Amino acid sequence: MSDATIEVLDLRKRFGRTLAVDGLSFRVEPGTVTGFVGPNGAGKSTTMRALLGLDAPDEGAALIGGRPYHALRTPLLEVGALLDAAALHPARRGRDHLRWLAHSHGLPAGRVDEVLQQVGMETAARRRAGGYSLGMRQRLGLAAALLGDPPVLLLDEPVNGLDPEGIQWMRTLLRTLAAEGRAVLVSSHLMSELEDTADHLVVIGRGRLIADTAVSDLLAAASGDRVRLRTDARTQAMELLTAQGATVAVTGRDTLTVTGLQARRIVELLNAADVPFAEVGAHRATLEEAYMELTRDAVEFTASAGIDEVAS
Amino acid sequence: MRWLHAEWTKLRTLPSTWWLLGSTVLLTVAVGAAAASSLTTGVCPSPDACHEDTVKLSLTGVWLGQATCLVLGVLSMGSEYGTGTVRTTLSAMPQRRRLLAAKAAVLALLTAATGAVAITAALWTAHLVLPVESPTLRATAGSVLILTLVALLGLALATLLRDTAAAATLGLGLLYVVPLLADLLGSPVWQHRLNRWTPMPAALSIQATRDLDRLPIAPWPGLGVLAAYAAGLLVAGGVAFGLRDA
Repeated sequence: MSDATIEVLDLRKRFGRTLAVDGLSFRVEPGTVTGFVGPNGAGKSTTMRALLGLDAPDEGAALIGGRPYHALRTPLLEVGALLDAAALHPARRGRDHLRWLAHSHGLPAGRVDEVLQQVGMETAARRRAGGYSLGMRQRLGLAAALLGDPPVLLLDEPVNGLDPEGIQWMRTLLRTLAAEGRAVLVSSHLMSELEDTADHLVVIGRGRLIADTAVSDLLAAASGDRVRLRTDARTQAMELLTAQGATVAVTGRDTLTVTGLQARRIVELLNAADVPFAEVGAHRATLEEAYMELTRDAVEFTASAGIDEVAS
Repeated sequence: MRWLHAEWTKLRTLPSTWWLLGSTVLLTVAVGAAAASSLTTGVCPSPDACHEDTVKLSLTGVWLGQATCLVLGVLSMGSEYGTGTVRTTLSAMPQRRRLLAAKAAVLALLTAATGAVAITAALWTAHLVLPVESPTLRATAGSVLILTLVALLGLALATLLRDTAAAATLGLGLLYVVPLLADLLGSPVWQHRLNRWTPMPAALSIQATRDLDRLPIAPWPGLGVLAAYAAGLLVAGGVAFGLRDA
């Protein structure tokens, strides 16, 4: 088995006048789940299509185990991909979809049953794919990706359309696959979907790399030295702490976020001034917050999203 | 070999494949029988006496049966673009020209087998209503080849156009409308040219068993015209398939 890595090297791809991917480079190591995040239109799918040899790069390279996709002799044994779960022929049974894939690599029929069981589609796979829900299509697409037991997985928005139970199942499965030593690249436009799943993040916007970082580092940086304070005497506390040089933001009816003072110092100050408070703790940023901070300048569709909100 | 197996599984697991192949047989037989029964022994006491090409007449159904073969060929690639499965196909079988060759081989074998059944059944049915002369191998094998080549023509058009409706329309137009236009043309010179160089009238000359000198083009060269269209478009499709993003 070749080494299980995904490498994107200075990749550039233009569609007409749009530069979809603009000099993107990153690497996915075996044994990790790497989240591939960016707003819609950031170039995630184009990058994935380039990795699968579906789109030819204008410049640079997209390599699996050090080789371009078309050089792979038995691609399903080296890369499992889920690009577009809707891409099924509506008149073909789910099981037959996996069977032709298995036949293309001489895999035994038993392998089809194994992956169907793994994704919980044994019964539904006997029906024609036209009647499948989006969640079932995702499961079948994942079964197709796992068919060749590949060391590299490329999954484009795999939790799209899954119910909460399905999302939980997908998270566990992705963690398990990475723990088995596979390199897993999962794209998403919703950071919250990757919370508790991804170890590493590649964040892109407008086809360029914004961040290539471990999730833990990103969260630490975004949390900064902020302290969360809960108090009924909001005004009093604000005056006191601002006078000591802190920046105080109101984040709720009885909560404040304080920057510029250590938690211990805040407790001392409040006690000394006899200001009542219920809770003081380090502020822990969510992945979503960290991501918003990162992509603030790179969001392409902010304006149109705003119009949608007004309309609805 | 594995790719042939995969493409065969893909083709046979669609109900539309069997509907189309069944229709091919049915149309070829039914139209052939109708044509044969239009010739009564009252008018034509023996085949020799009325100079009728009874073999060609029994095989008239190919003219209609080719339409379903064309659609089968178009769908074998067009539905991949229509549903997006072409990307799954290419991720399993990334060498594109080899993939197109596998598709073409499976399609050709399946339509040839169906064509053989259809032609045999058509001759046998016509024989029930008419004393058909013993058919020549050229007319029967040639008719099977027509159906096969038309299916490949459909595959080639769908590969080039990446759209089922567009490919089917263009294909049917090429087979049926162009010869119709030839009949509408005032100029006999152009009529002759179109009958020689458009795929359908040219290819159907393979079915003739008598009066060969009155054909616009000789039987084998006539079939060659259809083969050239199919091959030329397949090569063009293969080149475009290899170059374009999927």
